[in-house]
Amino acid sequence: MRAVAPVGRAVRRPWLRWLLARLGSAALVAWVVATVVFFALRAAGGDPTEAILGGPGSQAGPEAVAAARAQYGLDQPLVVQYLVQLWRVATFDLGDSYARRVPVSDLLAEQLPGTMLLAVLALALAWLLALAVATLAVRATGPVGRACAAALRGAEVVAAVLPHFWLGAVLIVVFSSTLGWFPATSSGTDPVGLVLPTVTLAVPVAGFLGQVMRDSLEEAAAAPFATSARARGASPVGVLWRHTLRHGVLPAVSLSGWAFGSLLSGAVVVETLFGRPGLGRLLLDATMQRDVPVVVGAVVVVALAYVVVMLLVDVAERLLDPRLRGAAEVPALVGGAVRAAGAGEPAVLG
Amino acid sequence: MPHALRPTRARTGAALAAVAALALAACTGSGGDADDAATPRDGGTLVYATGDAEPTCLDPHVGGNYPQALISTQYLEPLVGRDADGTILPWLATAWSVSDDLLTWDFTLADDVTFTDGTPFDAAAVKANIEHLQDPDTGSSTGYLAVQKVESVEVVDATHARFHLTEPDSALLESLSQQWTAMESPAGIERGMDDNCAAPVGTGPFVVDEWVPQQQVTLVRNDDYVPLDPQAEHDGPAHLDEIVWRFIPDAATRYAALRSGEVQVVDNPQPDAIAQADAGGDITHVDAPRPGSSNRIELNSAQPPFDDVRVREAFVRAADPDPGIETLFAGTATRSYSPLSSVEPTAYGDEDLFTTDVDRAEQLLDEAGWTTTDDEGYRTKDGQRLTVRFPVSTNQSVAAEQSLFEQIQANAKAVGFEVVLTPSDLSAWYAALGANAYEAVSAPYTKVGPDVLRILYHSDGTIPAPSGYFANHAQVKDPALDDLLDRASATADDAERADLYEQAQQIVLEGYYILPLYDQQNHFLTRGVTGMRTLDTVSTPTFLDARLGS
Repeated sequence: MRAVAPVGRAVRRPWLRWLLARLGSAALVAWVVATVVFFALRAAGGDPTEAILGGPGSQAGPEAVAAARAQYGLDQPLVVQYLVQLWRVATFDLGDSYARRVPVSDLLAEQLPGTMLLAVLALALAWLLALAVATLAVRATGPVGRACAAALRGAEVVAAVLPHFWLGAVLIVVFSSTLGWFPATSSGTDPVGLVLPTVTLAVPVAGFLGQVMRDSLEEAAAAPFATSARARGASPVGVLWRHTLRHGVLPAVSLSGWAFGSLLSGAVVVETLFGRPGLGRLLLDATMQRDVPVVVGAVVVVALAYVVVMLLVDVAERLLDPRLRGAAEVPALVGGAVRAAGAGEPAVLG
Repeated sequence: MPHALRPTRARTGAALAAVAALALAACTGSGGDADDAATPRDGGTLVYATGDAEPTCLDPHVGGNYPQALISTQYLEPLVGRDADGTILPWLATAWSVSDDLLTWDFTLADDVTFTDGTPFDAAAVKANIEHLQDPDTGSSTGYLAVQKVESVEVVDATHARFHLTEPDSALLESLSQQWTAMESPAGIERGMDDNCAAPVGTGPFVVDEWVPQQQVTLVRNDDYVPLDPQAEHDGPAHLDEIVWRFIPDAATRYAALRSGEVQVVDNPQPDAIAQADAGGDITHVDAPRPGSSNRIELNSAQPPFDDVRVREAFVRAADPDPGIETLFAGTATRSYSPLSSVEPTAYGDEDLFTTDVDRAEQLLDEAGWTTTDDEGYRTKDGQRLTVRFPVSTNQSVAAEQSLFEQIQANAKAVGFEVVLTPSDLSAWYAALGANAYEAVSAPYTKVGPDVLRILYHSDGTIPAPSGYFANHAQVKDPALDDLLDRASATADDAERADLYEQAQQIVLEGYYILPLYDQQNHFLTRGVTGMRTLDTVSTPTFLDARLGS
């Protein structure tokens, strides 16, 4: 409770500074991402003009090639093309897709909601799974219980390293081809179709979050404040809900930002596998065709979404951990986790 | 206790699963899947799952690739058709005649045909379509090449169009049978490229209704369809109410969706799925190799080491692709010995040129001066290693083909070739070819008729298009071959034409410019549907005669 002690005004200014720093770093992220993506795509070989003229290997005539180059500014030097692209990002006008000839913002608006829905559902499911597994593992007693806990620990490790394409393929074979419970393909908000892609995305993240949660729950359960709570006669469930859980989930909250990023990148695989429309597939197709405005636009939007999520994670950490509220600097992921281990119980620190 | 909770959770899981299964049954039941096994019936919605890339424009005039040909077969029709013997059939054009110099072609058009927007199909519409293909703003590639020799179209009267050519073109009718030059409503074209890409207007059995990008295109029946398709098996509009054309990139997912009844037709199935279908059961296999070239490895004859015919033959004799083709494709691909697809009646092959003979390969390499070996076991000559750079397009070469190339790599190594396989996406792959950074490549080419030989092996084909692309990857520059191909383009006599193309194929084969492998694989699996047939032009399926039920 140290940080809350100073007067209110002193607390406000670090918040503002923190927010401005965050906005500045978001702009920096957008610039770096746009630059790296632009030059990486151009260095990968292939001519973006072909995206305009029916795709790679186009045999369009000289007039058609000249017209396309002029229309999209591809006859300009690369540096000029880069600056134009950068200016577009800066002014939130992402330009037109070479291949689809529609504004990139329309394409993103069309595909972003589906991917976000999938990512949010998967994150929620991953949390539920991780929480269930971690609490079960921590509460296990006796030889059988310990064996179960060990098995769960193993399962977490395996889950965390499962590749999406493999897991998704297995789920399709089992639950679609063999059992026929769920369709092999998914689209829009159809709840039945969303099940397999959500599970595919959630399981590896759940494995990772579960490991972190269990570690910190075990640590908190062994802490003096938990012992004293038990000594006061609190039930195991009561100790878990009122005391240790808050500590246990803090590192997982910090990791959720990272998890969200991994879900967005996993969406490329999962959307392709389940034939589901979304940002991941848009990005994949656009990369294949060297559709520069779409790739830059999509990656910048994803990067900014990631920045926003990290910002929310910071806020959530501060809400859960009062000691962070006065801190001017943004907590690093690991630092946050370590500090969180004994939040609210100064006796544990050190 | 966790273990104590387990039975309860298992029961809950089973209950949840049951609920989910019920929900699924409720969702799919309304679609009418329940009577899958019923006899063929009219109406209903057929779901087609394609693994080909989603077109960026539904108008095949723009660009012009195979995915566009596939879907546009349902809503656009060509001037002429073709049967399995290669005979040109009437379609939107009912008759035609050509002047002796092959420069003037007169077409008589079907009367009383309207596009689905009400615009009449007439000679003015034909003229507008050819001009659309030739307009640089259309950005046409395939269709543009097909009508490259057309100077102008003259509207004689409403039902007569006259094509004026700049030079003789014996392949004109074959070119016009392709989906990439199919007829569209001029009023539709005038809406501008955005609208026309989203929903081109044709005369076909279906009409584009809605396009949800990355997901599906919905096609509804054209109730006023005038049955002109020369190979139609019934008179009148399509039986189906609707086709939902879904984009599902993963082959295993498509197959799972076919087996679970989510879709009735899939394209690009994996070899094991084809083999399973062939073994019996309720899934039907349709094999429709694409016209034009066979799938073959082209050897770049413009630079060392393959500028020496002995080295090319050595590679071909050592490659030994047969065991790989048999196992990797699960018996679904037949070995080819021709530059042309087996669907081309003029295809000529010579098996003897391609028998595996490792001793001969070694002897040829010795004769060609590749007599020393380096410490990694590769042959060298004047300090240069016998290296074959082989860029592989992961978009075009399926997994089985990529594995086949790895086997060829190993077989060629045994006689001292270092084959460097570089998997890359389509853009980077074309860039490597454009930069001449290859000694071997597999680049199939789809076109109706043997004129594809001119595109692939005439010395003109080594001159890059403005995009950098050139089709003659073997870089064959042989005046005798050029002469044969030029004469074949200029003759109106079918027998003479076939003879010239046979001689041309002999030169290509005997020069060891290519290692033919198999046809361009084009398989379809269907379940719970009858009456799907593929056109003998570009081998795309049409659903005019199709019905749900089996």
